[in-house]
Order: sequence, then C-alpha cells, then structure tokens
Amino acid sequence: MIELKNVAFTYQEKIVFQELSLKVEKGQKVGIVGESGCGKSTLLRLIAGLYRPAEGGVTVDGENDPEKISQKVSIVLQTPMLLPLTIRENITMGHAFSEEWIRQVCAASNLTKWIETLPNGIDTYLGDRADELSGGQAQRIAIARAMCKNAQVLLLDEPTSALDGENAAAVLEALDHFGEDKTVLHVTHRPEHLVGYDRILRMEGGKLLEANASCAWRAVSL
Amino acid sequence: MRNLRLLLKRNRIWVGVAVLAAIFSNLSQMIYTYYVGELANRIVGRTMIGLAFLAVLGGFLVSNAVTQFLNQYFGRFAAEKMAHSLRMGYATRLLRKATNDREGLSVSSAMSVAQNELAQADAYLGNTFFDVFGMAFTGILATIFLLLQDILLTLTLLLPTVLILVYVRFSSRKLSGIVSSTQTEKARMNQVVYSAVSAFPAVKVFDGEALCKGAFRKRLLAWEGHATKNGRWHALYNTLSGILSRVPLLLLLLVGGYMVIRENIQIGTLIVFLNLQKSLTLSIMNLPSWLSGFQVFTTNLSRVEIE
Ligand SMILES: Nc1ncnc2c1ncn2[C@@H]1O[C@H](COP(=O)(O)OP(=O)(O)O)[C@@H](O)[C@H]1O
Ligand SMILES: [Mg+2]
Repeated sequence: MIELKNVAFTYQEKIVFQELSLKVEKGQKVGIVGESGCGKSTLLRLIAGLYRPAEGGVTVDGENDPEKISQKVSIVLQTPMLLPLTIRENITMGHAFSEEWIRQVCAASNLTKWIETLPNGIDTYLGDRADELSGGQAQRIAIARAMCKNAQVLLLDEPTSALDGENAAAVLEALDHFGEDKTVLHVTHRPEHLVGYDRILRMEGGKLLEANASCAWRAVSL
Repeated sequence: MRNLRLLLKRNRIWVGVAVLAAIFSNLSQMIYTYYVGELANRIVGRTMIGLAFLAVLGGFLVSNAVTQFLNQYFGRFAAEKMAHSLRMGYATRLLRKATNDREGLSVSSAMSVAQNELAQADAYLGNTFFDVFGMAFTGILATIFLLLQDILLTLTLLLPTVLILVYVRFSSRKLSGIVSSTQTEKARMNQVVYSAVSAFPAVKVFDGEALCKGAFRKRLLAWEGHATKNGRWHALYNTLSGILSRVPLLLLLLVGGYMVIRENIQIGTLIVFLNLQKSLTLSIMNLPSWLSGFQVFTTNLSRVEIE
C-alpha cells in the first residue's frame, strides 16, 4: 500500500534520508517516534507527495507520481496551516460534502461546542480574527479537514500537540475510530498515544527501526 | 493615533528641530515677501532705494535659502528617524508575540501587514509627512501676517477660503470611509495570496487551489469595486476644490485692485497679498488629497502593531 524504496532526500545542503525503505500494508496502523529534527515530518511530507525524493521512489496505492499521490492521502500537518476563509471552507477546502458529514467531522474533532458559540457558526470568517484563534482550535480545524477528505491513507504529524489533555483524549479516540478501515501513519512524541497500533517505528539517524509494538510504549513511558 | 504619538515621542528631539526649521523657513519667506512689496512701493512712489535696503533684501534672500535647506533636511531626517522607529517597533512586536502554531494564518497576516500597511506608512513618512505640516504652518503664518497688513483685504481672502475649508472637511470625511474600506479589501486580497503560499502543503494535499483562486477573485472584485469608487470620488472632490480655489485670487484682484485705485492701500501691500495668496490657496487646494493621504497613513499606522 505504502512503499518507500531507497529514498534519498535533502533540504539544500541538509541530508535527511539516504537509503530509507519502508513498507506499510493496507489497513495497518503505524506509529512513528523519534527525536525532534530527525525527519519525521519530512517522511510524512514525502509520503503525501509534497516533496519529490532525490533518489528512490515513493509509491502509494500503486501510484508513484507525487501529484497523484497527494490525491490519495489525507494529512494533519504539524502546523494547522489555515487560510483566511470561513471555518467551513477551511474544512471542506471548497469541495462539496453533505451537511451531515461536515457535522460528523466537526463533532469528531471536538469543534461543535466552540462553533456553536460563534455568531456565524461554521461560516465564521477566520481572516480578520487569526489572532483570536487558539492553537488548539486551529489544530482541531486541521483535524476536521483531514477527516473530511476521507482518504484511504491518513497521515498524522503530532496531531494533538496543541490540545489539552481532555481534548486530546477525545480527538485521539475519534481519530482511532475514524482510522479503523484506513492505513494510518501517526507521528508523535507521546508513545502512550499509540496503544493498539500494529507497528511502532523509531526514527534514528535517517533510518527507521522496528520496535516491539506491544511493549514499546510501556517501555518508553515507564 | 496612539502609534503616531509613540513615534513622535520617541523622536521628539528631531521632530522638534524639524518643526522649528519649518517655522523659521516660513517666517523668513514672509519677511522676504514683505520687503518685495516694500520695493514695489518705493518704485511706484519714486523713493530712493538705498544700498542698505538692497542689503536687507539680499540678506533675507540668503536666509530664505538657508532656512529652506534646513527645513527640508531636518524634515526628511526626522521622518526617516520615525520610519526607523516604526519598522523596529513592528519587528519587536512581532518577535515578542511570534508563535508557530498557526503558520498559515499568522505568517500570512504578518507578511500582509509588512507588505501593505507597514510599507505604505513607511513611504508616507519618508516622502510627505513633514510637508503636510509645513503647508499647515504656511497657511497659519500667512494668515496672521496678512491680518497685520490689512484686515479688510485679509477677510476678502479668508471668507471664500473658509468656505472651501468647510467643503474640504466635509469631503475628506466622506473620502476617509471609502479609503479605509478600500484598504481593508486590499489587505484581505493580499492575505489570501500569502496564505496560499505559506500553507501550500495543505492547499496541495486537500486540492484547495480552486478554493484559493475563487477566494482571490472574490476579494479582487470587492477591492476593484471599492478602488474605482475611491478613484471617482477623489477625482470629483479634487476637481471641485481646484475650481473653488480660483475664487480667492479673483476676489483678491477685484477688491484689492479697487482699493489700490482708491488709494486705500499701497501697491506693495497688494503684491504681498498676491504672493502669499498663492501658497495659501495652494495648500487649501491640495488639502483634500493631503488629508486623505494623512488618513491613509493613520489608518495604516493603526493596523501596524508596534512596541
Ligand atoms: N524547509 C526546510 N528547509 C531546510 N531544512 C529543513 C526544512 N524542514 C526541515 N528541515 C530540517 O530537516 C530536518 C528534519 O526535519 P523534520 O522532518 O521537521 O523533523 P521532525 O519532524 O522529526 O522534527 C531537521 O534538521 C530540520 O532542521
Ligand atoms: Mg516534525
């Protein structure tokens, strides 16, 4: 389903990966941990077709053209990256979805309560009030956006880093439920968020090492 | 206005020097004009024009040049100092509150502010800020000076001028609303572009290109609507004020000429009036555009957060 073969990637001079390979089966839930700056976000961006590898190939669902890969994945980026448009437009990105579906993803992202307090609800324009938006609200909009697209591959880059404990727990549970029938790659610095995952990978020195999924999170957190 | 006060306060020494230079430059110009009028009187009255008189005239000509130079020099310098404070103040504020958690929005609004409001306020400070004040001085000082020369003739000049001022006040209020809504739309339009660039990963994965283009087109149309309205009203008000500004000169020539013929005043006095009338009416004629320029400036300034 997702395959990286001897991928090399550099930012200008900075070498991030040299010979990186990874194979993820359809429907697998994979957690990725590692020191910050080791290339986890870069890996997800490569898989999302946002970057073109310098060498090697990235294949998602049999597709290896980055432009087309982008269509097959959904991603919660490490920073929410909102646009100066309405909340609705930020979630749907201009595509047609049913009201019911939009309502569901808002509920799953714990947005409903906040949206109900806004004078224009989900059609509230975010451009002039960018500063009033909390990091958590922005991140939850980004999560709703990722769910809304409903792609078969879900990439999560520290999706709950800006959320408080209560919100994080609720949103993680919703994400788990939402990702049941999907291939999920979840980058996090909190291994306890990866309970029940099929595999846990540790990124180190530009390589991915397999960790024991069943006890990895305990080992780290104890 | 809070920001303007802050900038003025931070550079009070240079602003003070610039204001003093403007006052001296205007004063010297007026005294020189007075002596030119006196020269005309002596010619008409066939009075001796002594060497001492010519020396005084020459002296004021030189002081005119010197004070004019100092006025421009310090005016620019003070404005440049204020522009520096503005940029530094903005950078300081940005550094203090910078957070990375809303990359798309906060980077794009910071960029939008830097490219629009900040750049425009900056340019205004560098080019026109002290000119406006210089013109205001000229108007006030010229009026006082003329009142000392002849009250009736001054009133002849002032009455239509006051009427023009009322008109200008009315029109500038009307214009400022249009100006500020045009700016809001422009800022929104640019924000769409900057955020589409800074949030490109999200735009790409979620195929938001059409959304961004649509939003940009919508903003562009809104801005265009405001901008054409803005241009139309500016043209109308400036044309009207241009025509109105001819009235004082006409009245001055008619009434003043009559007074000279009746020997109520000397020709020199009329020459002084004619000379100063030009700068007085000129400042009034340009008042709408200066005021709206100043309005744009303060609107821009109020949108830039500084520290
Ligand atoms: N746009 C970029 N340009 C240059 N270097 C970058 C860029 N993005 C990330 N890097 C560098 O690449 C390395 C990997 O970054 P990243 O993938 O963000 O790490 P992680 O997500 O694991 O913290 C880091 O050393 C980072 O400094
Ligand atoms: Mg990262």
